[in-house]
Amino acid sequence: MNIPIRRAVAAMILAAFAASTLPSSDAAEPAAKDPINPPATLRDWQALAKLPDFSGVWTPVISDQVAQERSNPPPWNAQIAKQIEHMYAEEKAGRPFPVIDHCFPTGMPSYMLITHNAFELLVTPGRVTLLGEGDGNRLRRIYTDGRPHPDDPDPSFHGHSIGHWEGQTLVVDTIALLPEVYLAVNEAVGVPNDGDMHIVERIHLLDAETLADDLEITANKLLSKTWKTTRKYLRQRSQKYDIVEGVCEQGSYNEGLDKDGNSIFVPIKFHNGVPVGSDSK
Amino acid sequence: MNLFRMKLTLGAVALAALMAAVPVFAHHSFAVYDRTKLLTLKGNVKSFQWTNPHCVVWVLVQPEGGGEPQEWSFETTSPGVLTRGGWTRNSVKPGDRVAVEFYPLRDGSHGGGLSAVTLVDTGQKLTASFGEKAELK
Repeated sequence: MNIPIRRAVAAMILAAFAASTLPSSDAAEPAAKDPINPPATLRDWQALAKLPDFSGVWTPVISDQVAQERSNPPPWNAQIAKQIEHMYAEEKAGRPFPVIDHCFPTGMPSYMLITHNAFELLVTPGRVTLLGEGDGNRLRRIYTDGRPHPDDPDPSFHGHSIGHWEGQTLVVDTIALLPEVYLAVNEAVGVPNDGDMHIVERIHLLDAETLADDLEITANKLLSKTWKTTRKYLRQRSQKYDIVEGVCEQGSYNEGLDKDGNSIFVPIKFHNGVPVGSDSK
Repeated sequence: MNLFRMKLTLGAVALAALMAAVPVFAHHSFAVYDRTKLLTLKGNVKSFQWTNPHCVVWVLVQPEGGGEPQEWSFETTSPGVLTRGGWTRNSVKPGDRVAVEFYPLRDGSHGGGLSAVTLVDTGQKLTASFGEKAELK
């Protein structure tokens, strides 16, 4: 018997002893408090082959985004509707509200609703991962290993997502979004969710190369009822669509040299949020 | 603190203040550009900023009335989208003579949204679209 196996057997004997000497409820508790990610088995990998193939690079159907924005707006409550109306007027006047000007992640649900950039979807045992283009921090992790949401999750840009398969559909439940994260209908019109936003998604194939995300968004601070909407994505098989590295903040700098000839990033000039010639007013 | 060290410290503080004043506003809606006007300017490429979320062709333009060349920014979409449209980071190079078709900024600043760039010496025209026109199927 080699040493790791001996150790494992010793641990099992110890665990069995501990379990036999403690009340059963106490014995189960340590495992629940500190769950592990078990190693993936051959059966886990084989199970993935039975799922619909979601893997690959997906680009949003922007024309459909625009059509949806016009035909199916969110049921804004009266107070928010005034803000939205003002933002549309500002956008039309060429003064777009800076929904995405910062280099924070666009967050959920903007990731699925309004972004123009592609994402890569990976399905692995216990996990579905979306890697967005434009910035490396556009990243969604959806746990499909059966875990529940944490009791008190830290709010984040993409929230805490758990998913399960219902036939050919991946059902995703997302909570714990930062209140500052926007519910936006385009890159210039949106409002912070202000907390308690809950998103349920049903992700499924419409045909071999088209993915649909049916979203149900509940945001009690903004909406008079749950908003149901759908976004579509086309799979790109051509390798020229492979996701490239993106670092949003890099866009605020150009390449240059310091006084010693070393390569450095040099800040570029911005005016009203856009790059302008250095001799502009 | 000797004078040299003090100067160095003040310099660092000034630099930090300058850096802090640089807004990180790389990503924005293209509604800032006036899409009802398509203008053309000729000049020499200063640099081609190949960065996410948006690339920028920086061009030095000789003013009509004479004087020092003015720096203009012509912003376009991301490296990923441009690559799929046939561009590379070397599609335009410093020193290239170019004619740029662009949608101007509304406030008169020296910048615009790039629609197309023609390399004067070869006649090659590179086009780029952004916003809802950027959809590539």
